[in-house]
Amino acid sequence: MANQNGKMYGLTILSPIIDDPKIKVSHDSALRMFLQNMPRHSHSPFANVSGTHICRLVVMDDVVFVGSPAKEEHLKSKYLVFNSNLYGGLDAYLEEMAGKIPDVVDNIWSHCVGYPGAADPKAFAAYMKKCQIETTFFFADVNDKTVEQTLRALQTKVEFTAFIEQNQGRSPAQLQREFAAFWERVRRLPLPPAGARELGTGQAAGA
Amino acid sequence: MTNINGKAYAMNAVTPMKAWKTPILRLLFFLLGVFKSRQKGLIDLSFIHFARWVIVKNNQFPRLAPEQPEEQLHYDYLLFFSNFNGTWNEYIDAFSAVLSSGLDLIWRWSEKFPGAVPVTAFKRYISLVQFDTDYYYTAYPYATTNDVKAAIRVDDALQEFANDSPRLTPEQFQQAYLDLLVKVQADIGALGPAPMGT
Repeated sequence: MANQNGKMYGLTILSPIIDDPKIKVSHDSALRMFLQNMPRHSHSPFANVSGTHICRLVVMDDVVFVGSPAKEEHLKSKYLVFNSNLYGGLDAYLEEMAGKIPDVVDNIWSHCVGYPGAADPKAFAAYMKKCQIETTFFFADVNDKTVEQTLRALQTKVEFTAFIEQNQGRSPAQLQREFAAFWERVRRLPLPPAGARELGTGQAAGA
Repeated sequence: MTNINGKAYAMNAVTPMKAWKTPILRLLFFLLGVFKSRQKGLIDLSFIHFARWVIVKNNQFPRLAPEQPEEQLHYDYLLFFSNFNGTWNEYIDAFSAVLSSGLDLIWRWSEKFPGAVPVTAFKRYISLVQFDTDYYYTAYPYATTNDVKAAIRVDDALQEFANDSPRLTPEQFQQAYLDLLVKVQADIGALGPAPMGT
């Protein structure tokens, strides 16, 4: 199945946006405004959905006319594209979205045709799957790590870099002691927050 | 418009394809999936976290209610989504320079694709078919693909070293520590700032 690469899943959703000429602000404009103001980085709602490595939301207004002699044509609906590169299974991921960020999910997909609401996670997952387009080819450079494992590895790398810098010229016995203490500290560090702009450094390197 | 988040750039592109060409492209993607060695160019470039191509048949756009008008499209559409590191120009330049034959194989079925070389015409085409991202999230905006791969290697090496090193004498430990540094020397260092430019 092309949606899957290793343990990574490439989710592609196209949800038709409601077209209601009677309302003052169109659904696609309201949706764009909501997305514009949605919190980012570690405050992003997607930081709470544990499987999300990288995701995006895009309002697709139309297809593209590439010039003659190609035929010019247009979509009759606008579509919300939700594209997530996630670790794990699809059902659990979608149900986690509905369970952990229901207000955000409602605010986004209530602009879309046939949206059942996030109150029933299984109904939400079923709706999303109706909007899913199978990925034809999915490339994932690293395809076997959870978000937590990735963040932990990045943290370990920067902490160890600081440790090396701070422990040059130590005697063998001192170096061994310092490393043992460092390793204890680095294992106890809290996980870096998902989505944060920067990774704190030197917290475990020691004196 | 939010195409950039830290070191990651979100690209979206849509290109029309005559419906009879779709099965050929599907077959090519199938073969690319089966023969992993053909992905070596993408892997060696090592600046793409995730990328995907999605073929949407002309009758496949989701229709979820009778009041939603039915699409009446002549073409199938090839959607491309990429999460890469660096600037747009660097990305397109590298794609054109290193993967031109692979890109030609994928996009030659799209209408008016000029070829990945020369790069000026290729850039003009990508600019035409690209559309912007409204919201972009990454769990580690400060890290490139290379940073992630390096971090995993360092983490794995350190786990192994930490397991083995307590039973060593101080002199043996020092030698093992130096061996470890030699092993991971290309993978350590600061993560560095995100690139500037377009």
